[in-house]
Amino acid sequence: MIQLTATPVTALVDEPVHIRATGLTPFQVVSLQASLKDEKGNMFYSRAYYRANEIGEVDLEHDSSLGGDYVGRHPMGLIWSLKPENLLTRLMKKDVMNSPFQVHLKLYDSDVLLDNKPTTALKASLTLERWYVAPGVTRILVQEGRLRGALFLPPGEGRFPGVIDLFGAVGGLIEFRASLLASHGFASLALAYYGYEDLPPRLEIIDLEYFEEAVNFLLRHPKVCGPGIGVVSICKGAEIGLSMAAHLKQITATVLINGPTFTVGIPQVYRGHIYQPAPFSAQLVTINSLGLVELNHLFEETGAEASQSFFPIEKAQGHFLFIVGEEDKNINSKRNAALAIEQLRRNGKNNWTLLSYPGAGHLIEPPYSPLCLASGIRTICSAFHWGGEVIPHAAAQEHAWKEIQKFLRKHLIPTATSKL
Amino acid sequence: MLQLTATPASALADDPVHIRVTGLPPFQVVTLKASLKDEKGNLFQSKAFYKANGAGQVDLEQTPALGGDYVGVHPMGLFWSLKPEKAFQRLLKQDVMHSPFWVTLDLYDSICFHDSPTVQPWASQMVQRWFSGPGVQRKQIREGRVRGALFLPPGEGPFPGVIDLFGGFGNLIEFRASLLATRGFAVLALAYVAYEDLPDKLLEVDLEYFEEAANLLLAHPKIQKPGIGVISLSKGAEIALAMACYLKQVVATICINGFNAVSNVPLRYRDLVVTPIRSGGERMQVHISGAVCYRHCHGDPRDQLNRQSVLPVENAQGWILFIVGEDDECINSKAYAEQAMDQLQSHGRSCGRILVYPGAGHLIEPPYAPLCFASWVRGFSWPFLWGGVPAAHAAAEEHAWGEIQKFFRQHLIQTRCKL
Repeated sequence: MIQLTATPVTALVDEPVHIRATGLTPFQVVSLQASLKDEKGNMFYSRAYYRANEIGEVDLEHDSSLGGDYVGRHPMGLIWSLKPENLLTRLMKKDVMNSPFQVHLKLYDSDVLLDNKPTTALKASLTLERWYVAPGVTRILVQEGRLRGALFLPPGEGRFPGVIDLFGAVGGLIEFRASLLASHGFASLALAYYGYEDLPPRLEIIDLEYFEEAVNFLLRHPKVCGPGIGVVSICKGAEIGLSMAAHLKQITATVLINGPTFTVGIPQVYRGHIYQPAPFSAQLVTINSLGLVELNHLFEETGAEASQSFFPIEKAQGHFLFIVGEEDKNINSKRNAALAIEQLRRNGKNNWTLLSYPGAGHLIEPPYSPLCLASGIRTICSAFHWGGEVIPHAAAQEHAWKEIQKFLRKHLIPTATSKL
Repeated sequence: MLQLTATPASALADDPVHIRVTGLPPFQVVTLKASLKDEKGNLFQSKAFYKANGAGQVDLEQTPALGGDYVGVHPMGLFWSLKPEKAFQRLLKQDVMHSPFWVTLDLYDSICFHDSPTVQPWASQMVQRWFSGPGVQRKQIREGRVRGALFLPPGEGPFPGVIDLFGGFGNLIEFRASLLATRGFAVLALAYVAYEDLPDKLLEVDLEYFEEAANLLLAHPKIQKPGIGVISLSKGAEIALAMACYLKQVVATICINGFNAVSNVPLRYRDLVVTPIRSGGERMQVHISGAVCYRHCHGDPRDQLNRQSVLPVENAQGWILFIVGEDDECINSKAYAEQAMDQLQSHGRSCGRILVYPGAGHLIEPPYAPLCFASWVRGFSWPFLWGGVPAAHAAAEEHAWGEIQKFFRQHLIQTRCKL
């Protein structure tokens, strides 16, 4: 009897699943397909072809896919190679507390000719639940002073290291990474800064005092332990994170994913000091063969004259973790990290670590997230190329996520010895 | 005075256009945009950013594009980098006789990224791109089993005859035949599946059908004897290679990105039945765009188990030109062409030649057509990945088109001289 199993069927999105099929004809080729419907009704699909062994089994932890959305041995390949029906769709969970993503796994005899759909019937299927929050995590809507966001607290008594989670120019309130961090023991504040509730509808200036308020809010919270706060940030959020680290002494651990080293696009202000956006060469925008817009050359001609746009990161008290996708087509992430590190070195600092991932693109997210190659940002552009190759990007996400947690624990949790 | 010129304003689609701007402020950065609507109303667009020189001029034959759809000096870049508004659309002219493609060129005085209805271009120019020249005649062919369209150059002739074969997805593609006819060849665009009363699906390749077509051409009063040429792409190239092997009427064959063995469906010629190498659908690979790469699906002709499917190219009586794109994502065409060349050489035949183009994809077509990187294919619910790196693919098409005409002139017109 043909059986399809997956363990565990219910898990956090960043936990792996062991998928197996048994009871097949020896050496037969089967097709495994995954599908997911997001909260807006967009469909995502993936498929892979496997050959059963001599006892009629397929085990994704040992066997190599022959073809489909990935090739080779990738136990979680069906999940991270999911592709949207419409190319420009990004998979983002909105409601992280009350529902999981359901991934439907289906096993077919493979009679795939160069034709279309499989011509044989479904042999086995099951549904995985992928949650963005562990049992016991609580979510508190934050509306204190100017602050707008959601605070996620790990279950249990005691205090937890605090982290501010910042996304990029996509705007709104994005909660899924903060909820996952809370599931791993961090009190995480998903902080919106524009395009949400009564926050400005458009980004015209970044006021660092807003983020300072957020830092103080966290440090005041009874379930957050200080004295330092961490930041996990990507893209425009990483520009803000970098600036926070430079100006706010309470920031002791800053994770910067594919961010700029200087102000981009709009000015930043902190207590009267204005950082003007760095000049860029608009004519260096390129469009790839799929019509996707690439901005990674925009600042190629920007040099020393942009000094008033760089943050005084040598003044930062904490540590930096630079995470770079070398195939980032939105930002020249590799160059930006190099510039930042050079600035630190010049000032005799060595409080940084660089993780540079060949083949990874701009949107480095928690592991097993499908690669989003391109998507739009409302009012700015309908098709940004984020870059990345599916397989190395997936590996980068898996590795980076573990490193991010290690880094945060190291620099946020005071060890016994340091108190002596 | 600001001027945008494009010369010639009306030309054949395979002729280059010289685009220039004069009268700009010195060192002004400008945007040049091209747009085209096909016969179904689908919009194709491209843009590039240029910086004028000290004399306020931009000359696409000398000035490099700094960004946009292409970078560097590419006089025809605005044409071959045209992109469809709806992903995976291929630009294909249906009516090749009575209307051109109209391309609108717009000049904007700054970096103009988005299309805004309120921003007016500084200057505009329309350019016509024709697929047939004055005096070329088109005749619908429905004789015997043969279905297609015959294009004759103007004049008395006789002209060298060529059969034009496209891929196996059906319908009739005429634009290459009409362009070649404008260059002096009598070309039969030959359909072989899913056209008029031809079978809807290709269940076998009956070489006698193609022989009928060859004989039909040779019987025409305006077409030279005793031999014809064949130009072909993809599945068409596999069929053309078989024609070269088995039909003495074929004296010059151009195979673009095809297989050197019978694939998927059997080949029949009189009593001979050649069984195909089967493809393994499970080796398809889905590209990040969602288009499917079939390059790894095809069986290996060098495998002993497949040897009966390999086409006996050593039997070809005429000349063969293999044209190959190294970035072909549909077929591993370089390997197959090299195998065929090896086979010729090992039998002491020197009638084969191969042109390998790095960066070119599967759809190597007459020059200046937009690079079609992936497109929908009739009967499939996902697009096919063709591959190709834009600037390299465009350069390959330009070069190959010249070689194609040289090859036919060299090996078809010579036969006349022998009389």
